[in-house]
Amino acid sequence: MLTPQALSSCSDMACLPPIKGFLETSFIDWPGKLCAILFLGGCNFRCPFCHNHPLVLAPEKMEDIPFTEILYRLAERKNWLAGVCISGGEPTLSPGLPNLITQLKAEGWAIKLDTNGSRPEVLERLLADKLLDMVAMDVKAPLVQEKYERCAGSQVDLAAIQKSIDLLQHSLIPHEFRMTIAPALHTEEDILVWGQQFDHSRSRLTLQNFNPRTTLDVEFGKEHFDPEIFSRLSAMINIKYRPVTRKVL
Amino acid sequence: MGVVMPLNAGTAQTRTQQVVNEDSTDIALFVRSSQDDMLGWNRQRIVDALLRETFVDRDTAEKISRDIEVTIQAGRVKTITGPLIREMVNAKLLEMGLEEARRMHTRLGVPLYDVDQLLVQHNKENANVPHGPEATNLTLAEGIKKEYALLQVFTPDVADAHLSGDLHLHDLGFIDRPYCSGQSLEYIKKFGLNLPHALSMAKPAKHAEVLLAHMVKFAASLQSHFAGAIGWDAINLFYAPYLEELSDDGVRQLAQMMIYEFSQQAVARGGQAIFSDVNIYWEVPKHFVDVPAIGPGGLYTGKTYGEYEKQAQRFAWALFEVYKEGDAAGRPFFFPKPLVHITEKFFKTDGHMDFLHHICEVASVKGNTYFVFDRGDTAKISECCRLSFKLEASDLEDAKQPWKMRYSALQNITINLPRLAFRAKGDDTKLFALLTEKIQLAAKAHGQKKKFIERLMSLGKGGPLSLLAMDLDGEPYLKLHRCSYLIGMVGLNELIRVHLGQELHDSDASIKFGLKVIAHMNIVCNKLAETLGMKFVLEQTPAESTAFRFAKLDLAHFSKEAEKVVQGNREKGEVYYSNSTLFNVGATMSPIARVEKEGLFHPLIEAGSITHLWLGEAQPDKEALATFIINVFKHTQNDQIAFSPEFTACLACGKTSRGLSDACPYCHSKDVDGITRITGYFTKISSWNKGKLGELHDRYRNNDRFNN
Repeated sequence: MLTPQALSSCSDMACLPPIKGFLETSFIDWPGKLCAILFLGGCNFRCPFCHNHPLVLAPEKMEDIPFTEILYRLAERKNWLAGVCISGGEPTLSPGLPNLITQLKAEGWAIKLDTNGSRPEVLERLLADKLLDMVAMDVKAPLVQEKYERCAGSQVDLAAIQKSIDLLQHSLIPHEFRMTIAPALHTEEDILVWGQQFDHSRSRLTLQNFNPRTTLDVEFGKEHFDPEIFSRLSAMINIKYRPVTRKVL
Repeated sequence: MGVVMPLNAGTAQTRTQQVVNEDSTDIALFVRSSQDDMLGWNRQRIVDALLRETFVDRDTAEKISRDIEVTIQAGRVKTITGPLIREMVNAKLLEMGLEEARRMHTRLGVPLYDVDQLLVQHNKENANVPHGPEATNLTLAEGIKKEYALLQVFTPDVADAHLSGDLHLHDLGFIDRPYCSGQSLEYIKKFGLNLPHALSMAKPAKHAEVLLAHMVKFAASLQSHFAGAIGWDAINLFYAPYLEELSDDGVRQLAQMMIYEFSQQAVARGGQAIFSDVNIYWEVPKHFVDVPAIGPGGLYTGKTYGEYEKQAQRFAWALFEVYKEGDAAGRPFFFPKPLVHITEKFFKTDGHMDFLHHICEVASVKGNTYFVFDRGDTAKISECCRLSFKLEASDLEDAKQPWKMRYSALQNITINLPRLAFRAKGDDTKLFALLTEKIQLAAKAHGQKKKFIERLMSLGKGGPLSLLAMDLDGEPYLKLHRCSYLIGMVGLNELIRVHLGQELHDSDASIKFGLKVIAHMNIVCNKLAETLGMKFVLEQTPAESTAFRFAKLDLAHFSKEAEKVVQGNREKGEVYYSNSTLFNVGATMSPIARVEKEGLFHPLIEAGSITHLWLGEAQPDKEALATFIINVFKHTQNDQIAFSPEFTACLACGKTSRGLSDACPYCHSKDVDGITRITGYFTKISSWNKGKLGELHDRYRNNDRFNN
């Protein structure tokens, strides 16, 4: 397993994590907002359906984008963008993450974090320091050891996942739990059970249909839910567990 | 151009005739005329034709006819066709150096082989023309009119410039029609459906549905008198006085009828759907607020349009509900294209955020919405792929009587910009001189088309353009003196690449130079407008097939230079130049940068511009899109944007899915067709020309996350 230190040539928390990807404008990653996305390398999961696998498996082979260049490009878009989304890989593995966020915050940017929730201690600190404005957490399956590990492609500490869920549900910031579903991994019942794990009045729930493009596990196959079934499942989750308060612009 | 067969002559029949005659010892010669008749040989007919059609003197005509007679007798032909005799006479005229007489005596038409191909193969010049008997009629007729235009309407220098690809005269096959038309529903509300030569006449509509029927039929009549788009101004507002009696369901039903009527009208000209646009406002535009409203029966309702805001909004909302749903298979509607005007007043009108989210959701789910930005005091009506007309003082005067509001561009001519750069060889002065020269030539061509249309219009209500001469409000429907003449451009990006060695998106210096080129075009147009008294305006040509044609011709005639800059896939022949002033469609640019930078060119292009954002399969958040739209309005000079998603329509199971796939994600059938915007409208990808297929492959879809 990859250790946090291995991700960066520098293990000092004051260092900035290397930024491996940058999308200046996204219409889809932050509900209701236009945002930019930064991608950090490295991950402790090996989800078979992962699309960002170069970031997961060999981040060192990808070129770093200088942070100064990113700050410059973001500054040009101050009028347009509501915030910056930090994604990966798994960003909480990078020791320099708090530093990165602090620097972005200093420039006035709201921050959204994408995480798999495996490092609640990092999440807890970021929340306590008020460094986050929105979190999207991938909850890969109902919290059942065997199921979860199959979806994550690695050993998982479910207690840590549960802790992250609790942290978010007790926080006051907008957050979303999402699950990428595929027939090879999830039954309809799994999806229902998954939905029952959350406090529906506080959390936004989203299903994503597995998209059979280039996947981390090349053997994973192309089977995905029929779009009609997906819409039904999605509607089921949305209707049953629609958050009571929805943030409207 | 050479033609030997009348279109109605069957080859099999001719052969049978020859066999029969071979048995006969008599040398009687039958001539198959183009008048469905067989006539005996008569030399005099050649003489008559030459004297009627050319300036050849009688003695020469007699001599030619005797020479032809000798040739025919020597050939021992039993049956001969009129067209063949004509070609023989032409050969003779050429032999005698009588070039002008040969031109006047020429015959227009299509070789047998071509007709055979045409009847079977699909013509993809315009993706909005399906394949069928009506479509081949259209193509055949267009073919002849095109030849006629190049021989008879335009002077040889103009015709040569077109044929060689220096410039492109659009819609030559519609030489006897103006280019496009934008109008007000008020005309039929006030006058009913009262068209010249119609079999019956209808009084002004009393019910919304009847008004819709009138609108659709009027649009179809207009389509057969204009080459291009038929646009409607403030459609939701002008329907409003008819909606008070309708429930929400009734309004929704009307919206659905309107969209289906226009999107299913693929039965009119050439089997072509009417290229139709509807302009929609959430607010009541300032220039209509105090205008007395016309309602059922063509009567004033006693209220002003300002008082119909709520009804107009109800209709606008319902129209977008229908767009959001799509057709029976969930596909986006191709027509009518909805253009929503985003104005200062829009943001001051109640409910505008809800409406903005609504139309953004449609943009995300189906892509239909066009966002037109009218900043400050400009008012525009938009139509065609990106053509818009700015309302001037005289138009705003007309706005008090909205039935008078109608706009037309008489013709559209596009200049091949990369070729100018090939010729200039890096010399700025030469580049601008060549550009000036081509604009002057385009202006000359516009003058020639104007003269021709004036001639047809002068025949009045008894002439071929009786609909356009119709003067129910005291003025001809086509107001010739107020027409615009469009000058477009293709391949600014490739011009820059040849001239500066970089593309538009590469540096600020190349953008700056690009702006200089377009500003120069603008200045030349304005100067020519003053001297010639015609309104020349720049337009971003849609160039659906022109971008392909220019690239192909340049690869053939400027191969060394063109090979370096032509876009697309040369091996597959899928080549193109970037449209108008658009940046490289494949450049990794954020949507913000594209809207901002392409928008720098928009204020220079008076007749309208657009930036396309390709979404692929991503389905953006409606609120994020709304934020984007507000920012485009506030922080850029961009004129108009559209988001284009992609779809796969399955021909086996009939379902529609998001993104372009080789197989249907529902039933896995490979019998699928892609759907997305080709230029300014949605259509099936199977009907696209090769150049556009090359472009589709290159389009950047905001998803290349790791490539800076």
